[in-house]
Amino acid sequence: MSIQTPPRPLDTALESASVRTPAPAKLPVPADPHRGRKAMLWGTATAVIVVLHLLAVAGTDFDPTLLVDGWQGMARFVSGAFPPNLDWEEVIKPGLDATLVTLWIGLLGTTLSIPSALLLAVLASRTTSPHPVAYQISRAILSFFRAVPDIVFALIFVTAVGLGPFAGVLALICHNTGVMGKLWAESMEETDQGPQDALATAGASRLQQITHGSLPLVIPQFVGLLLYRFDVNVRSSLVLGLVGAGGIGLLINQAIKSFQFDTMLTHIIIVLILIIVVDQASGFIRRKLAV
Amino acid sequence: MEQAALKVSSLAKSYNGRRVLDDVDFEVKRGELVAFLGANGSGKSTTLKCVAGLAEPDAGRIELEGAQLSEFSGRQLQLARSKAAMVFQKIHLVPRRTALDNVCAGALARVNSLASVSPLFFSRELREEAMGCLERVGMADRALDRVGRLSGGQQQRVAVARALCQRASVLLADEPVSALDPNAAEHVMELLAELAHNENLAVAAVLHQPDLALRHADRAIGLMHGRITFDGPVASLNQNVLDTLYSPERNAA
Ligand SMILES: Nc1ncnc2c1ncn2[C@@H]1O[C@H](COP(=O)(O)OP(=O)(O)O)[C@@H](O)[C@H]1O
Ligand SMILES: [Mg+2]
Repeated sequence: MSIQTPPRPLDTALESASVRTPAPAKLPVPADPHRGRKAMLWGTATAVIVVLHLLAVAGTDFDPTLLVDGWQGMARFVSGAFPPNLDWEEVIKPGLDATLVTLWIGLLGTTLSIPSALLLAVLASRTTSPHPVAYQISRAILSFFRAVPDIVFALIFVTAVGLGPFAGVLALICHNTGVMGKLWAESMEETDQGPQDALATAGASRLQQITHGSLPLVIPQFVGLLLYRFDVNVRSSLVLGLVGAGGIGLLINQAIKSFQFDTMLTHIIIVLILIIVVDQASGFIRRKLAV
Repeated sequence: MEQAALKVSSLAKSYNGRRVLDDVDFEVKRGELVAFLGANGSGKSTTLKCVAGLAEPDAGRIELEGAQLSEFSGRQLQLARSKAAMVFQKIHLVPRRTALDNVCAGALARVNSLASVSPLFFSRELREEAMGCLERVGMADRALDRVGRLSGGQQQRVAVARALCQRASVLLADEPVSALDPNAAEHVMELLAELAHNENLAVAAVLHQPDLALRHADRAIGLMHGRITFDGPVASLNQNVLDTLYSPERNAA
């Protein structure tokens, strides 16, 4: 700002205002009586975190020098993978077919868990649960399905229905019921209870209060979480393929075991494209819903 | 003598050992609009909630159209209670649904089981009745708009239509116009007065401004610390009465 420019009316106004308004008086700040306690707390927290990390480093044989010494192994692996094997009949076509299976596992695993997740979510949400006992029991069921990893469910179902995609679908239904039910219950608890109360005063039954008062309020959140879980489940079904539940995961596993790293790379590229497409599609729908 | 549509006697209610309502007695007849006045925390909302079943009274009798509520339980109680409809300051409609679907939901107590699941199954008959209710509050032309797109005043009128679709004879309104601009507030108050005077409903409305009561109500009931200290025609509401009624608030402020 140059000194020569004549002051504009606003500047003048501000200037005269600042002349007229006295600065607020200064007062001494009272001593914080909890200062010592706060310092102690921070010190303890830092010490605990450092100790935990030291234990973790020891417990995981964490040793970056191993990575440096073993670089040739990785180099062989990588050089074996390039260039990717782009043979249509032998590699790409089976890869695409298996990828489709992976996608179907993720889709069924997500949609077929909707009824069980919805039922448990309604029972496990404080605002809609009919009884404290139902609330506690459904919470426990959800926790169980969430705590057991889908890969463990897959191993169990493989023993019942044999190797293949069906075991993967069953595994995802179980685990996803636990996760999605919990997420849905939480979003129900956060929504406004007003419309539900209003219908209660109109003589609506418990079920009617839920279907006409609570659920319509949470549908956007529910669909958003559903799409998010679909995204996650497609990726999970890849891993399930590794333990025999079919799909592209199985092909990747076979390629590695037979040292066909170039085939493996092609399959990984196909998976990468699938993940990006699913991610973009679910993101697009969620953005549309948010409006 | 005509029987009161709503008769409350010796109503008492405590929260955490603190008396919130103490020996509350009043009546509201069909054809009159009764304003409930009183400082914040005097127990106005709790009174209406006890009638509507959103709060459980500790003692007292509530009669709706001659039916003593304590004689019913479960589903029967719900049905007996649905004679009274409640309108809220925060409106409590479902914003994503149409005005028509929201109004139909007022009739849930008498619909078939499919309609309990989704508005898709509301019968033609019910929809037509709901249209009539929307027409009554001047909102028929917005029937298929989502409620979230309507203004506050329009939403409150839809909420009143829902109460009409409930076929209630008693309308409980807890600060129905506190969140509205003065113009919309005036319209909604006129509507409530019309419903009382022309449709013979019993209307009990908690109002935050005494002048709204003076202009629209027939009778006023004043609450102070959970007790009724005034009950009479609005014409007898003088400055003296109002000063006493709102003194707890002034003292607190
Ligand atoms: N759910 C509740 N739990 C505990 N105290 C409550 C509850 N609802 C109301 N109260 C208390 O009861 C008193 C009366 O409240 P309310 O009926 O809402 O007053 P008003 O509507 O006249 O402002 C207030 O002191 C309030 O804090
Ligand atoms: Mg209140």
